[in-house]
Amino acid sequence: MRKHFVIYALPAVLLLNVITGCKENEDDSTTTPDFSTSITTVLSNTTSANTTCGSATGLAKVVCLAESFKSTLDATQLSAVQLTYSKANAQRWSNLPEGLYRNRVGLDLASLDETQLAAFRDMMVAVLTLNTSNEGYDEMLGNLVADDYLNTAGGGSTYGAGNYYLAFLGIPSVTGLWELQFGGHHYTFANTYNNGTIAGVTPSFRAIEPMDAVSANNKNYQPMEQERQAFAAMLGALSSAEQTTAKLSSSFNDVLLGPGKDAQFPTTKQGLQVGSLSADKKTLVLNAIQLYTNDLDSETATAFLNKYTSELDNTYIAFAGSTAVTSENDYIRIDGPSVWIEFSYQGGIVIRGTPHPHSVWRDRTSDYGGQ
Amino acid sequence: MPNSVVLLNIQSDRIDAEVQIPLSELQAAFGHAVNDSSTGLVARLGPDLREYLSQHIRPVSLNGQPWAVAVGALKVQETKNPINGTYRELTAQVRLVPPVGQDVRQFVFRYDAVLHQVVTHKILVSVRQDWVRGQVVEESPAQVGVIELDIINNRIPTLPVNLKTGSLWTGFRAMVQLGIRHIAEGTDHLLFLLVLLLPAPLLVTGSKWHGFGGVRYSLRRLLLIVTAFTIGHSFTLLLGTLAWVKLPSQPVEILIAVSILVSAVHAIRPLFPGREAWVAGGFGLVHGLAFADTLTNLHLESGPLLWSLFGFNLGIELMQLSIVALVIPWLILLSQTRIYKATRIVGAMLAGMAALAWVLERVSGQANIITIGVEQLADYAIWLVLGLALLAVTSWWQTHKAYSRTLPG
Repeated sequence: MRKHFVIYALPAVLLLNVITGCKENEDDSTTTPDFSTSITTVLSNTTSANTTCGSATGLAKVVCLAESFKSTLDATQLSAVQLTYSKANAQRWSNLPEGLYRNRVGLDLASLDETQLAAFRDMMVAVLTLNTSNEGYDEMLGNLVADDYLNTAGGGSTYGAGNYYLAFLGIPSVTGLWELQFGGHHYTFANTYNNGTIAGVTPSFRAIEPMDAVSANNKNYQPMEQERQAFAAMLGALSSAEQTTAKLSSSFNDVLLGPGKDAQFPTTKQGLQVGSLSADKKTLVLNAIQLYTNDLDSETATAFLNKYTSELDNTYIAFAGSTAVTSENDYIRIDGPSVWIEFSYQGGIVIRGTPHPHSVWRDRTSDYGGQ
Repeated sequence: MPNSVVLLNIQSDRIDAEVQIPLSELQAAFGHAVNDSSTGLVARLGPDLREYLSQHIRPVSLNGQPWAVAVGALKVQETKNPINGTYRELTAQVRLVPPVGQDVRQFVFRYDAVLHQVVTHKILVSVRQDWVRGQVVEESPAQVGVIELDIINNRIPTLPVNLKTGSLWTGFRAMVQLGIRHIAEGTDHLLFLLVLLLPAPLLVTGSKWHGFGGVRYSLRRLLLIVTAFTIGHSFTLLLGTLAWVKLPSQPVEILIAVSILVSAVHAIRPLFPGREAWVAGGFGLVHGLAFADTLTNLHLESGPLLWSLFGFNLGIELMQLSIVALVIPWLILLSQTRIYKATRIVGAMLAGMAALAWVLERVSGQANIITIGVEQLADYAIWLVLGLALLAVTSWWQTHKAYSRTLPG
């Protein structure tokens, strides 16, 4: 008997290993493409399902909607989404898809059912502007649609709306310190609230691949095109002498102050001072800035835009590459006493040979709500 | 966007660096269309590239004296990583030599290739090999630091390099370990030897293996085979490492697979009874050439090289002997039982199958299901030895019991 055991065991073990050893290592992210398609379908219906927070306004409304969202979750989901506030957790965002980053905190959209997604939508609609094409809430949605597209266009399961994460850092309240953090591959939203007011809305990361329009739910999305055009208009309006002053000698293939580059604002501003420009050119600079601030609910947007407008004369604009903002290594920077915006065109990742933009909005004083 | 990588190979009086620069990044800094047309890039722009690199790679000693920088071979290759997908990069071999009397292990690395222009670029600097610290395996370079723009002050910082002191003993010990690991992972080397040992305890009559030849007979033959194999591969390891003999590795690897096939056939039917030692020695010469490849790839200087040779060979012998010692007792026991024939033939057939699969893999350059399986199986080698031991002890005991029962009482 034993003789047979060894004789048969050898080839059997060999065969077993051959069978198990030849499997491809598959990515273990949790998204199913079918489901993430329906994520954007649910999110694209912006009719609110909420009946309890209708009378609240401002921060009280955001807190009410956050609580409503939390009430739809089970205990496991709740412990994933509700964390204590820490700067370290707030800094856990990235421009990498989750399959490569694997460090985001919170709850992924893939794990939410329709009711929970609707409650998430109601909350995001309260903090982002609604009904502006490719801005605010619509821009966020377009970003998710584009990531779903990358999933099907060769990027695979690490891409897609299901890989975007929501976290409450600190318990949502109208008194304490907390952050609403939502983000994934090409999008990071970070509103920090403290002592009953909005303390910061940055770092805010916006990027897109593909740059061309993507469509879902009978709608076309091109979330970064208006920003691109605003920068091109801003640079194109400058005289050649102004362009020379604004042009940087260095080249850029990404933004300087992306994820992980917190509190590293340059000491010396480079480029062209906006205060030296004519009123119409100043307006073009403000137009570009507005496409970032006005993504937020109107009350918050106005507060930040007013601050940046009052500091406009001491704000500098700079660029590298071409003024048309169409090619790889084209780069724009707006650097003020508070505002910091970068926009960088860089090589394609999933869609080879076609550039795609990264963009970051930071604030020299109120990143992470000043924490 | 992909980073540049600098891999340092630390020698006693110089550093051999390999620099890898993604072409898409180089293009914006170098000012020629390198990424748009990488075919024939080295032929077209070789001198310009060498000039550019020697301007932007400038190590200096702690007293400020510049090192000599010589840019050697250039190559363009395609590479891939999960973040950036597939991209092309330039690989340059650069020799960095400190001024006479200056420490090779302590210097300030001034490196700003690409970064002087593309300020979002990053350069990852690692030590790939440092013999006196016992770092000889290329698998996991030890990161020294990252060179990137100091954004706050808008300047490019230098990278201070301060490598810990090493010693001859540390390097030697690492080479012994490398030898041990090489055999532990060298399934093909071991298989050749073990299959050759399979019929060693047996007597031969005509063209067939016969019964057990006695413990002394077996031990003598086993030791003779192992010693001959050792002499053979030590000899060519020496010749190959000192570059007196150089054979391309593919035919060597194919011959090694053939050697297993030959010894497997011999274990089934005696091909060269009584001359196993000569065969072991002869094929040992081939195996040694493969060992030499490992050492040659380390590109060591002559001092460490001799110590490496000695240490590496010592490691090989130690591992080989311990494995032989683990297996021999069971072979001697088992060869006295009736099931040895089946064991020997099944073992030889499996080894022959593996050998054929290796030949196929090494001729075609494509791994196949069997070679992958064998590598997986090698991880469970200890269980195979245990199984062999169990089989040997139980069948020997049963044979013995049956034999003692037939004795007149």
